[in-house]
Amino acid sequence: MNTRILVLILLVVSALSVSIAASLLLDIPVPRGLKELAVYYVSNTIRDTGSPEAVAAIVWDYRGLDTIYETLVLYLAIVGGLAIFRVTLKTITKTPIGLTLFSKTSTKIISLLIATISAAITFHGHLTPGGGFPGGSALAVAAMLIIPVFSMYALLEKGVTSTKLVALRGFALTAIGLVALLPVVRGLEIVTNQKFYPTQILGIPVGGSISLYNIFESIAVASGFIAIALYLSIPEEAYKTGESSA
Amino acid sequence: MLKYLVVWLMVFTIYIVFTGSIAPLTLITGLIVSIVLSITTAKYLVEDEEKLKQPIRLLYLVYYFLKYITVIELRAHMDVVKRIITMDIKPGIVRVPVASVSRYARLLVMSSITNTPGTVVVDEKNDYFYVNWIYVSTTDPLKARESISLEFERFASRIFD
Repeated sequence: MNTRILVLILLVVSALSVSIAASLLLDIPVPRGLKELAVYYVSNTIRDTGSPEAVAAIVWDYRGLDTIYETLVLYLAIVGGLAIFRVTLKTITKTPIGLTLFSKTSTKIISLLIATISAAITFHGHLTPGGGFPGGSALAVAAMLIIPVFSMYALLEKGVTSTKLVALRGFALTAIGLVALLPVVRGLEIVTNQKFYPTQILGIPVGGSISLYNIFESIAVASGFIAIALYLSIPEEAYKTGESSA
Repeated sequence: MLKYLVVWLMVFTIYIVFTGSIAPLTLITGLIVSIVLSITTAKYLVEDEEKLKQPIRLLYLVYYFLKYITVIELRAHMDVVKRIITMDIKPGIVRVPVASVSRYARLLVMSSITNTPGTVVVDEKNDYFYVNWIYVSTTDPLKARESISLEFERFASRIFD
């Protein structure tokens, strides 16, 4: 016990002294003002992309093609991962047990709140920080709460299966691809934003294709993560006996 | 029908408060999200619609909330502060019976116990809470209930039972 306290004190003291010494001796310059590139984004983003949110504009417009390839790479990685779990095993369901009644009741309320906030993050991604990936990940958190609290079988009973989720992910990615490809029909470049998609509908700012990408990306990310969470919840015995529950 | 309306109102309010805006975009997307979520989740959240028709329950909830965050929390905090300074502690887990019936009433009682400093519900089984208490003044379940959860239960039963 004494050794632990000594080591703890030693760690705190050394961490403090190293950081104080480094800041005194190295005299690290603090950035003052914006860099040239940042000034460009701050003053031109809304005109270039129709979205005031510079990060969303960079991700889905300035370097939109890059992001779409990235999404594809992640999709292939998930497909590869799922291929290791044997998808086509016989499906069985067990009676869900889960945790106590309290955990279940509070999880019901919390999951609803998480879903609400994830939707808010997604739908305002072209205006405020957030967007498709954070929104989708937040929704996946709700499922990751439900799996331990209600058990995976409760989700399966409600018809939330990995097969359906993977299909939903495929649909969302197809939609992202279509949003990127549609401008080509009118002879525009792939991943064109403002020249093809409206930046406003009835005076409401929609950020052109950015909000569409955000919505479909959110669906793709949420369904992908939930599918993986379900696969990871399959007990090892299921593989040994040749039965799967997801 | 009423349960869908209540869940819709709750989701919509949270959506607006979280976004912090009443711009048309927020209102329209909020409306869509709240309708979809209330249709899909209301049946899991509300069991007895009749209770929603009694606004007196809501008044009790507001009164309880105000009393809880002021008087009850202050009392519990002062007690724990005193015990930390004097190190006058006798920790242990006691068994406390629960009389509240509905799941929301029980959740409210349990959350109230856990949120006040000095007491934490660690488990529940067969209508009993198992409470980790900073100063076990009695191991008798009924007496422990009087000092730990009786006040919470009275309100919880009026609000949710």
